[in-house]
Amino acid sequence: MEELFEDIEKLARAEKRVAMATLVATRGTSPKREGAKMWIGEEGRILGSVTIGGCVDARVIAESEQALSSSASRLVEMKLADEDAWEIGFSCAGDLDVLIEPFDLTKSSMLDLYRTVRASVDHGKAAAIATSLNDSLQKLLIVEGGEISGTLGSPELDREARTVALDLMRKRISSIVSLGADSSPVFFEVHGPPPTLIVFGAGHVSMPLVSLAHDLGLRTVVVDGRPRFATRERFPDVDELLIGIPSEIAETMTYTSSTFVVLTAHDYKYDLPVLKVVLPARPAYVGLLGSRRRGKAIKEFLKDGGMDQSLLDQLHVPTGLDIGADTAAEIALSILAEAVAIKSGRTAVSLKERR
Amino acid sequence: MTALYSDVLLDHFRHPRNYGSLSAPDISYESFNPLCGDRIRIELKLNDRTVTEARFKGDGCAISTAAASLLTELIRGVSIEQVAALSDDQLIATLQSDIKPARRQCALLPLDALRHGLSERR
Repeated sequence: MEELFEDIEKLARAEKRVAMATLVATRGTSPKREGAKMWIGEEGRILGSVTIGGCVDARVIAESEQALSSSASRLVEMKLADEDAWEIGFSCAGDLDVLIEPFDLTKSSMLDLYRTVRASVDHGKAAAIATSLNDSLQKLLIVEGGEISGTLGSPELDREARTVALDLMRKRISSIVSLGADSSPVFFEVHGPPPTLIVFGAGHVSMPLVSLAHDLGLRTVVVDGRPRFATRERFPDVDELLIGIPSEIAETMTYTSSTFVVLTAHDYKYDLPVLKVVLPARPAYVGLLGSRRRGKAIKEFLKDGGMDQSLLDQLHVPTGLDIGADTAAEIALSILAEAVAIKSGRTAVSLKERR
Repeated sequence: MTALYSDVLLDHFRHPRNYGSLSAPDISYESFNPLCGDRIRIELKLNDRTVTEARFKGDGCAISTAAASLLTELIRGVSIEQVAALSDDQLIATLQSDIKPARRQCALLPLDALRHGLSERR
């Protein structure tokens, strides 16, 4: 994500006009997901990619140059037959739709739009740009929390787009969605802060949990009251180690649709006060290490204290998927697999069984 | 079977009194148990040499939380000389429970924070 914002700023310093190519739809399989971008400057600079290079990108460059010449956006469908895919070494055979939009960086509001998105992301809030595929000049910016600016052409469409965007932001998916009575296609480009894993408790399960999360590209934070446990030696990959009163630290943190919280202390003195803070903040995932019986007791205690049932239902206890996890590393894998599935809106069945 | 903890202890655990922070406290000290992870911070406001406000904040077990809650009630309106003279047994007695030797450190954690805070003040 940071790469995208950096690319925009680099181009703004070097180019007057650019074409922004955005992968808006894939059919079959594709090495990149919707939202991938490639920038083609009028002076020849190329940044990013909508695939993994090769012929597709070459065609995107050619189409972009035409879009710059005509000063008109275009939606380009790229069909990759299986033979072509094989011949060009393209690992997947699929069809791609790429939206190519020319921008004048000296006066375009595009820069302002992406700078607003970046500011939101830097403050821990996701944002989505909804672009009408019938008229790509019509754009609506939706920030996590519901604030909007711009328009897709009518207040009704904007309201509908806001609802769709908030759902896509939660799942962190960019996608085309048809809106309005005439099913106008709108591409929702979702941006968000890097996913963060906050672990309360610096015990032995937390160590592989943090290492694995680090490998998955998550920012990681470990919180504990015990300096002897929350050490760099035990957590070499962690981004932040916080020692203090865990629930007080929990109050200072930002929870977004890309925040995973796992409580591994297996101790009610941390679990209860931290859950009182974290559950109402509604992060993407809250998992509690412990048995079903222990989870029931914790939930009942919180319910007696006035916590709403809908919040209690967000708690995953026991945390993790049923993969027969036994060792600390296996438990960590099970927890992260569940967290990723929940965030992506998947049910975590075997891919072989997926329909 | 007799109850492990008294109603007083359980009540102060479930509904701790004086929980929170003071703005610009005259005394603030946080103690923790390095192994079990209990952490309690005691904050006091003084008028001359009398405790006018007492608060605590922390994540602790039932015993340490209840003891902190009871301690803040005990010391409000009391001179710091009298507070300093408060004994371990006096605080433990307020819990009205049979605190086993292994758990005395839980009950005394808030008192440890209080004593350190007072000694820093002197």
